[in-house]
Amino acid sequence: MASITLKKLSKAYGALTVIPDLSLEIRDTEFVVLVGPSGCGKSTLLRVLAGLEPISGGELYIGNDLVNDVQPSKRDIAMVFQDYALYPHMTVRQNMSFALEMRNVPKAEITEQVDRAAALLDITKFLERRPKALSGGQRQRVAMGRAIVRNPRVFLFDEPLSNLDAKLRAQVRAEIKALSDQLKTTMVFVTHDQVEAMTMADRIVVLKDGVIQQVGTPEEVYNQPVNEFVGGFIGSPAMNIFDARVEGGKLLLTDGTILDAPKSLREGQSVRLGIRPEHFVPDLSGVSVPVKLTEPLGSETLVHFDLAGTEAIASVPPDTPARAHGRLSLRVAMNKAHLFDPETGASLRQKTLEAV
Amino acid sequence: MSMSDPMSDRSARIANSVMLFIAGMLVITPTFWMVLSSFKQSFEVTAYPPKLFFTPTLENYVTLSERTPFLHYAFNSMVVTVGSTLLGLILGTPAAFVASWTRITWPAIVTLVARMAPGTLFLLPWYLMFRQVDMIGTYGALILTHGVITMPIVIWVLLPFFDNIPRSIYEAAQVDGCAPARVFWKIALPLVSSGLVVSTILAFVFSWNYFLFSLVLSNSDTKTLIAASFNFIGEGSTNWGGLMAAATMIALPPLVLATIVQRWLISGLTLGAVKG
Repeated sequence: MASITLKKLSKAYGALTVIPDLSLEIRDTEFVVLVGPSGCGKSTLLRVLAGLEPISGGELYIGNDLVNDVQPSKRDIAMVFQDYALYPHMTVRQNMSFALEMRNVPKAEITEQVDRAAALLDITKFLERRPKALSGGQRQRVAMGRAIVRNPRVFLFDEPLSNLDAKLRAQVRAEIKALSDQLKTTMVFVTHDQVEAMTMADRIVVLKDGVIQQVGTPEEVYNQPVNEFVGGFIGSPAMNIFDARVEGGKLLLTDGTILDAPKSLREGQSVRLGIRPEHFVPDLSGVSVPVKLTEPLGSETLVHFDLAGTEAIASVPPDTPARAHGRLSLRVAMNKAHLFDPETGASLRQKTLEAV
Repeated sequence: MSMSDPMSDRSARIANSVMLFIAGMLVITPTFWMVLSSFKQSFEVTAYPPKLFFTPTLENYVTLSERTPFLHYAFNSMVVTVGSTLLGLILGTPAAFVASWTRITWPAIVTLVARMAPGTLFLLPWYLMFRQVDMIGTYGALILTHGVITMPIVIWVLLPFFDNIPRSIYEAAQVDGCAPARVFWKIALPLVSSGLVVSTILAFVFSWNYFLFSLVLSNSDTKTLIAASFNFIGEGSTNWGGLMAAATMIALPPLVLATIVQRWLISGLTLGAVKG
């Protein structure tokens, strides 16, 4: 158990700067998910935490120890790799025992720890098998087991679910979350999948180009994105974004669609309007839009439609009378809408929310 | 999956057989000739047209064992070959690992160039150097120089084996508490075991068959088998029968080993920890 502190940390490969200047405090026993599009530096950051990549600048603390130049083997961290990285020449038991053997833990204790972890992960019956003889999901469990037996100060997960099929992924996701409650260890989880981030994290760190965009609870990041990037990245289907301008006290979309404008906006001000799919509400008094496609998901129906030259998606109740190539009237829940500065992408919401 | 066309399947099989036959003949004919000649009388060896049917004699083998210190030379060969193979493994295996780990392969290429250079290139400097340290005629000199044969083989056979190990496995081992040297011993080495067998046998065979260095750097007491067999080539006449008998005996150990290596090559790698 330990906190992790990053102070003005930077990482460059030669002339290529991946992480320019990053400060972050991960609290003890916290489950933090690093999320962002590919190439945002999240995996690099994780590898830096693990010590697999040297730090170019700044300071990295695990607990109270400055670990900038500490070897991975001495950091007391465990890592679950994307490809699991099990030792092919060892049985599952040997795989799980390996780290403890490296630390000269007595044999009896190793056996006990491995058996306990195996029971926790329900892999006891595979203990004498080689990784080759296991399915993807089973290998994934072994990789987690190998990390758990260590009882490390910090767990690192590098997209450990990306090689699992959808059903298994949802199951393991829940298991990892339950595990984190049980183990009470600091966990840092990297993923490009915002659903994983939303469902598992105590706090989400949204990264783009090696720069932290926002740090917050899933609810904060979802409901109060600080900029258009975070708004667009978190949430599935993604937030619909429209160009809009304030005219005559109303918000005017590029095709002339008129919406209520928050009072705080200046006349003539240009904004980017972000509306989540669930904030389009079927309402006969709303804007009539041409429906291109409907996707009934059972509990909700996704309606694809054109609005102001943008293909937008609304999430509506399943009994909504929406047909492909028909029309549907939708109202925008403006009090839930997001406004972003067209230049900087920064959210204008703080100023405008209460004014609606 | 391609549809199998019985006609093209058949012609592909025939083409395969023809090519295998040609390749086989190229390899087997000289070997067959060598073995056959070793059982002939001296005058029969060079007879033209060559005789396929003749009264076999063991005379050449008798000469080999009674008139030459054959076993002593065989012992010399064994000492030099085993020594240089071990030397090649001890130097080459960590070198291949580090080259693969760091992706710095130029030293490996240098060793390859050294291996490809004609052996005569080394002869004079080595002769002078070993004379300086008074090592001419010692096993040490032969083992060291044969390292030039064995080490590049070990490095180049093992490099792809090490490259085949997913990097994340090394990294997992580091996170699990291994310093790099331990990663080498505990993880990398066991995973390239089949490569080790292949490189050991190849190094052994090449070192065993190499005669040039022994010709110059050994003395009559430390001469290797293959260099000693040149004694059959005289100033005026050559004892072809004796030479062929010696050659047959010399070819036996590599032949046996080649049979073993074949099995190992087929068994291949057993990497199964990563996806796919």
